[in-house]
Amino acid sequence: MNAHLVLLPIIIPLTGAAVGLLLWRAPAVQRAWSFGALLTSAAASAALLWAAWTRGPVVFQLGGWAAPFGISLVGDLLGATMALMAQGVLVTGMIYALGCRDKCATYPAFFPLFLTLTAGLTGTFLTGDVFNLFVFAELLVSSGAILTAISDDRSGAEAAYKYFFISLFAAIFLLSAVGGLYVSYGTLNMADLAQRILNQAQAAGGMPPLHHMAMVLMFVFFMVKSAVAPFHFWQPDFHTAAPTPVSAMLSSVVVKVGVYGFLRMTTLLFVPQAATLRGLLVVLGVVGVIFGGLAALGTHNAKRMLAYSTLAQIGYILVGIGWGTPIAIAAALVLTINHSLIKAALLMLAGAVASRAPIKSAAFANITGVGKSLPGMGALFLLGGLALAGIPPTNGFIGKLALFRGGVLAGEYAALAFIGVASIITVVYVIRAFQLIWWTPPAEGVKAKPGGDRLLAPALLVGLCLLLGLWAEPLLRLANDVAAWLGDPALYIAAVLKG
Amino acid sequence: MDLLKALAIGAMFGVGIFQMLRRNVIRSTIGLIIISNAVNLFLMSTGAYQGAVAAYVNATGQRSDALPQALVLTAIVISMAGFSLVLALLYMLSTRYQTADSDEIAELRN
Repeated sequence: MNAHLVLLPIIIPLTGAAVGLLLWRAPAVQRAWSFGALLTSAAASAALLWAAWTRGPVVFQLGGWAAPFGISLVGDLLGATMALMAQGVLVTGMIYALGCRDKCATYPAFFPLFLTLTAGLTGTFLTGDVFNLFVFAELLVSSGAILTAISDDRSGAEAAYKYFFISLFAAIFLLSAVGGLYVSYGTLNMADLAQRILNQAQAAGGMPPLHHMAMVLMFVFFMVKSAVAPFHFWQPDFHTAAPTPVSAMLSSVVVKVGVYGFLRMTTLLFVPQAATLRGLLVVLGVVGVIFGGLAALGTHNAKRMLAYSTLAQIGYILVGIGWGTPIAIAAALVLTINHSLIKAALLMLAGAVASRAPIKSAAFANITGVGKSLPGMGALFLLGGLALAGIPPTNGFIGKLALFRGGVLAGEYAALAFIGVASIITVVYVIRAFQLIWWTPPAEGVKAKPGGDRLLAPALLVGLCLLLGLWAEPLLRLANDVAAWLGDPALYIAAVLKG
Repeated sequence: MDLLKALAIGAMFGVGIFQMLRRNVIRSTIGLIIISNAVNLFLMSTGAYQGAVAAYVNATGQRSDALPQALVLTAIVISMAGFSLVLALLYMLSTRYQTADSDEIAELRN
């Protein structure tokens, strides 16, 4: 039973989606069923994380094939943490979808697609096989593209096409990497692969010719997944046009696939080349931080501003991974979790403001002054914005503090200086958005409509941000344990190949 | 044979990339499909010349490697689903914008 625990967070949403589709004639039943399935699955991933934390990694070999031959599902500390983070945020996303006024949330396929998105995302975090990663990533991408294409926003189809086209191309990159790795090492199991790459690096004669090609292609795949500059161009469009509950998920947890991939690449798969990859990640991170911050300053749409800010926040995480010391990796993990909570909350609030505006759009021209009569929403947005900028008493402060400490201890003062400047930019654009929506007097005749999207989900997320800011110790301890676990690839290899 | 296959894969990649860079969205999608088939060919060639007898058949001789074939099958199925979805999106785009020129489908640019 214990080993089956790692199956549950993937299989429950998949089954839930299949049954949910059959219930398409009864929308109320379908909604309740989908929400129940997602809650159960989130509980299962919490149990998985607890098991991985207290008793060590949970490994399941699909179909009973022993490790290097079959497909392994690995619930190690990193995978389980990411899975719980994803499913926790997805639960709030579904709460928002249940209470929102978007027409697309009433389509019969909306909630099943939300569940397949969950299954794909969780699967990428928990799989121990490179090709399986491709399969789950495709599931994730197709669900996300459809959910955006059916958006109430007319330009949803354009954004979905761009995203899907780029993602299919990225998948081709990953497939080529899979081919290259298979030619070079004859295996696709991540643990076995890591073992063979380590052995190869110690043996004489250098790496096989396709090794570096595969590494670079895989790196590019994860760059596209996380929208790291220069592969970011689809992301602001996509996150602006998606329906609010979906865009809140895409910009918070779905972009973390790349972050997860970079962590796996530098600490497990390509350890002999980790130094090169890390140097690249620091540069990319700093570029993302500066570029994302400046681009967010120049936007005319609240959702687009938040999408560009994701670019910057991913940059911080990449810098943390790039420094590579246990403290910096722990800081990157804290930032990853924090950013998921904060960005989901802020995007939901931006969408909720848009749902109250005269025309449903998050363009600043349209929502300026709409917040005058919505002080509660304003308080939530301000708290979320403070968290994004990293000001106490929110969890954003904890993450930034940990990152700065990691940087000082690693002696990386140049990158630290850039990051410090970019933090100030964050404050500027968040406060600008707050001022425009809640302080500026509205134009003649503009008034908030009654009704609109419910605020339970963003309130939950902002509450969690405050809680993790005031009582950060469990999260920090978890992050430190994950970083320690990632410090030695032999642990992962032994857990999978013996289990 | 190796050289021939390498040339075929390279040619398909080239044609695919050329089509993908066209302004017409339908052509660029076809380019993507060609590239994806080139990659499938590449995946298959990773294990094509190791053994002459089919896997899981009780025969003498060196068995061929079943994994690349399984990979290609899965990749074909997934790309089939993916491309049908792309074509559906293209249909949506062309009815909404009445054009297939990617420069004119640009509502989101500003």
